[in-house]
Amino acid sequence: MNQEDVSFAPPSQSSQPFLEVVGVHKRFTGVHALRGVSLAFERGQIYHLLGENGCGKSTLIKIISGAQPPDEGQLVIEGVPHARLSALEALAAGIETVYQDLSLLPNMSVAENVALTSELATHEGRLARTFDRRVLAATAARALEAVGLPGNADFQATLIEQLPLATRQLVAIARAIASEAKFVIMDEPTTSLTQKEVDNLIAVLANLRAQGVTVLFVSHKLDECYAIGGEVIVLRDGQKMAQGPIAQFTKAQISELMTGRHLSNERYREGAHAEDVVLDVRNFTRAGQFSDVAFKLHGGEILGVTGLLDSGRNELARALAGVAPALSGEVLLDGKRIALRTPSDAKRHRIGYVPEDRLNEGLFLDKPIRDNVITAMISSLRDRFGQIDRTRAEALAVQTVKDLQIATPGVDKPVQSLSGGNQQRVLIGRWLAIDPRVLILHGPTVGVDVGSKDIIYRIMQRLSQRGIGIILISDDLPELLQNCDRILMMKKGRVAAEYRADALSEADLYHALLSEAA
Amino acid sequence: MNSRIQPRIDSSIDSPIDSSVDSSIKQTMSTPNVVEIAPSPEPRGLRMRLARNPEWFTVALIVVTCLIVGAINPRFFQFATLFDLLHSATTMSLFALGTLVVLASGGIDVSFTAIAALTMYGITKAVFAWWPDAPFALILITGALGGVVLGVVNGLLVHRLKAPSLIVTIGTQYLYRGLLLTFIGTTFFMNIPHSMDHFGRIPLFFYHTADGLRAVLPASVLALVAAALVTWWLLNRTMMGRGVYAMGGSLAIAERLGYNLRAIHLFVFGYTGMLAGIAGILHVSNNRLANPFDLVGSELDVIAAVILGGARITGGTGTVVGTLLGVVLVTLIKSVLILVGVPSTWQKVIIGAFILLAGTLFALQRKS
Repeated sequence: MNQEDVSFAPPSQSSQPFLEVVGVHKRFTGVHALRGVSLAFERGQIYHLLGENGCGKSTLIKIISGAQPPDEGQLVIEGVPHARLSALEALAAGIETVYQDLSLLPNMSVAENVALTSELATHEGRLARTFDRRVLAATAARALEAVGLPGNADFQATLIEQLPLATRQLVAIARAIASEAKFVIMDEPTTSLTQKEVDNLIAVLANLRAQGVTVLFVSHKLDECYAIGGEVIVLRDGQKMAQGPIAQFTKAQISELMTGRHLSNERYREGAHAEDVVLDVRNFTRAGQFSDVAFKLHGGEILGVTGLLDSGRNELARALAGVAPALSGEVLLDGKRIALRTPSDAKRHRIGYVPEDRLNEGLFLDKPIRDNVITAMISSLRDRFGQIDRTRAEALAVQTVKDLQIATPGVDKPVQSLSGGNQQRVLIGRWLAIDPRVLILHGPTVGVDVGSKDIIYRIMQRLSQRGIGIILISDDLPELLQNCDRILMMKKGRVAAEYRADALSEADLYHALLSEAA
Repeated sequence: MNSRIQPRIDSSIDSPIDSSVDSSIKQTMSTPNVVEIAPSPEPRGLRMRLARNPEWFTVALIVVTCLIVGAINPRFFQFATLFDLLHSATTMSLFALGTLVVLASGGIDVSFTAIAALTMYGITKAVFAWWPDAPFALILITGALGGVVLGVVNGLLVHRLKAPSLIVTIGTQYLYRGLLLTFIGTTFFMNIPHSMDHFGRIPLFFYHTADGLRAVLPASVLALVAAALVTWWLLNRTMMGRGVYAMGGSLAIAERLGYNLRAIHLFVFGYTGMLAGIAGILHVSNNRLANPFDLVGSELDVIAAVILGGARITGGTGTVVGTLLGVVLVTLIKSVLILVGVPSTWQKVIIGAFILLAGTLFALQRKS
C-alpha cells in the first residue's frame, strides 16, 4: 500500500470515480473470501453485484460499509485512500447500506429511524447533546417524500413495528437519503416485495441515480436487474469474473459466469405420479384469508400453488402445517380424516413444512446442523430412560448431509455458518428424518443462488420418486413450471384455476397471475 | 429468476437483450414517483389506544383501587392520604426511574437496592464519625457520586463481558451487599447526622386535618419531581436518550448505525446508580434511621411497578409518566390496604394479580 503516492493525485471532482476498491483481500479462518478484488464505482450509476452464495458478495459489502476491515488492499473514496474504514467513517463519507434485515429499530418512530442516523453521523457519533426536533422532522419529511412516502407528522410518529414490510423497505431507503448518501448498497431489497412494490422501488432507484447517487444492488433476481439496467459485476470464489453494462450479457451468460457451469431452463419434472390420493383437502376455510379450498394430492406428485401476495397462498400453507389452522373444512390423509390444529398434529401425521421465512420460523441458527436435523423426530431417538441416542442422531445427521449435498465440514457446525441454499436443505432434511407422507415447501428457493436452486430442484424430484406428495408454494413461475405436475392459481382466497404444468407457457401463467378475474 | 418482472425477457433467454427491455425501463422510470402505501390495517378503538399508551391501563387500575378503598373507608379521600402516598413513593420512584432507563435500553438491573444500601449506610456512618455537621447538599452529592461509581462498574462489566445484565447485576448485588455487611457494619443506628435529620423534617406544605393531626408534604418530594423531569428530558430530548431506546430496540442494529454502545451502557447503569445513591440518602433522612439490611429485597417491587407502568421487560419501551403511575399503583396497594382492613400479607397477592392481568392484556394485545 503506497498511500503517499496516491495522496499526490489531484482531487479532480468530475471524472474520478466515487469509490474504488483496490486489490482487496479478506481471509477468514480457512477461507480466502476475497482474492484481490478491484472495482471502480462511478457517480450516478447502478451496479448489480451478482454471484452465488459464498462468492464473497457479503464480505465485499461489509468491507465497503466499514463493518469489517480488509486484510490487504484499500478503499479510495473520492480520491482519498483508506486502508480501513469504521462504520461511522463510511457513513460520514456518504456510504449507506440497506441491509437485508433493513436495520430499522422496531420500537422507534419512522422519523427517528430516518433522521437520527444522519444526525449521529454528522456529529461524529456524540451522544451527549440535545437535538432539534424540528430539524429532525424536516429532514425526515424531505427524505420520506423523496421515496414517495407521506411526510406528515402522523406517519412520522408511527412505530416501525406497525408498518408492513414493503413500507419498511422504503423507510430504510429514506434513511439513506436523509443521510445524504452518495453511495447506497442494497442487499436483496426485493426478496419479499410484491410486483407493484418492486416497480415502485425501481422508480425510487431511478430517482436516486438522477441525483448522482451510486447504487450497488445485490439481488438473485436477474429479471429485476435487467429491468433496472446499469452495470453488472459478477463475483465467483472471491474474484471478479466480469463487469460491464448488463444489456451486453444474456441471462445464460451471467448464470454461467456465476456458477462456472451451463444452466438450462429444462423441466426437472419427469415421469408420472402414482394414482393413489395422499392428501384430500375439502372446503378448507379460514375466514378472511382463504375459503372453500379443495384439492387432491397424489403420491409422488408435485403440486404447485401460486398467486399474488394477498391471494391466501401463504395462509393456506400455514394452515396445512397447522401453524395458523383452518377454521372449517376437512383434510383426509390416505383416506382418513385428520385434524390439523397445531404444528404437532401435522408432524404426527408426517406432514412436513418448510417455511418461507427459514431464519425466523424454521432454523435454530446458532445450533449445530445435527440438532436442527433431528428436531422433528427427536422423540423417536429416545432410549428407555428418555435420553437422546447420540450415536444415532449423529449418524442420521451425517446421512442427511450426504443425501442432500449440504456443503459443510461437519454436522456440529452451527446452521448460521451455512449459505442460504444449504440452510434450506437442512430444513428439508429435518422432515426427511420423519419419513414424510406430504412435504409442504413454502418458497424453497427464496434468496437462494442459481446453483443451489438446481440442487434443491433435483432433491425435490428425488423425493417425489419416493412417493412423497409435495406441495410447492411459490411465486417463482419458472420454478413452478420446471418442477410441478399441476399448478393451482389462487385469487382472493380461492382456487381460481388449475393448470397442467407441462402444457403451459410462462407468459400464460404470468397473465393468469395478474388477471383480475377471480 | 422471478418472471413476474419481465416475462418478455424469458422468451429470449439465449439471445442478447433486445431493445424491448430498454423501452420497458424507460416506462418504469417515468412512473410517477408516488407510492400507494397499503394502509396498514389499524384496529381502531380501545386495543389500539392501549397498544400506543399502555399507561391508560395503569390509570384505570389506580382509579378502580381508589374507588374501592374510598367506598369502604371515606377517610381515604383527603390530602393527608396523598401526602403519605407521595412521601412513601419517593424512594421507590427514584429506583423506578433508574429501572425504566435500564429496561428501555434492553437490560435489567437488580443491584440498585444494594447500591443504595451501600452508599446510604457507608456515607451516613462516615459523615457521622468524621464530620457530623456536613451540609445536606454535600451528603446528597456524595451519595449521587458513590452511586455513579458503583453503577459504572455494572455498566463496564455488562459491556466488557457482553454478559446479560441480569447475571452481572445479581453478581454485583451480592458483592455490594457483602462488602457493606463485611466491612462497614451490620448494626443500624438512629442518631443520623443533624443535617440529614433536619432535611427529613422540612415540610414543603402542611395543614391540620379534621382530627387535629399535622399532615405534612415533605421536601424530599421535590427530589421525585426533579428526577422525573431530568429523566424525561434525558430520554426524550438528548441523543443519549434516543441511543438508550435504540439499543433497547436492537443491540446489533444500534451498533451498525454507529451508536456508541459503551457510552450508552455506562450512562444507563451510571445514571441508575446515581438515582439509587440519591434514593438511599433520602431514605435515611426520611426514616431517621440507617439500616444496612434495608432496601435490598425490594427490587422486584420496583421492577413490577415499572412493568405495570407499561414498559416491556424485553426492552425498548417505557415512559416516565407510565413509570410514575406504576409506582403510584404499587405504593397505593402497599399503603392503603391497611386503611380498609386488608391484612398486609394480601398486598403481594394483589400486586401479583395486577401484574398477571397487565401481562395477559399486553400479550393479548400483541397477538392481535
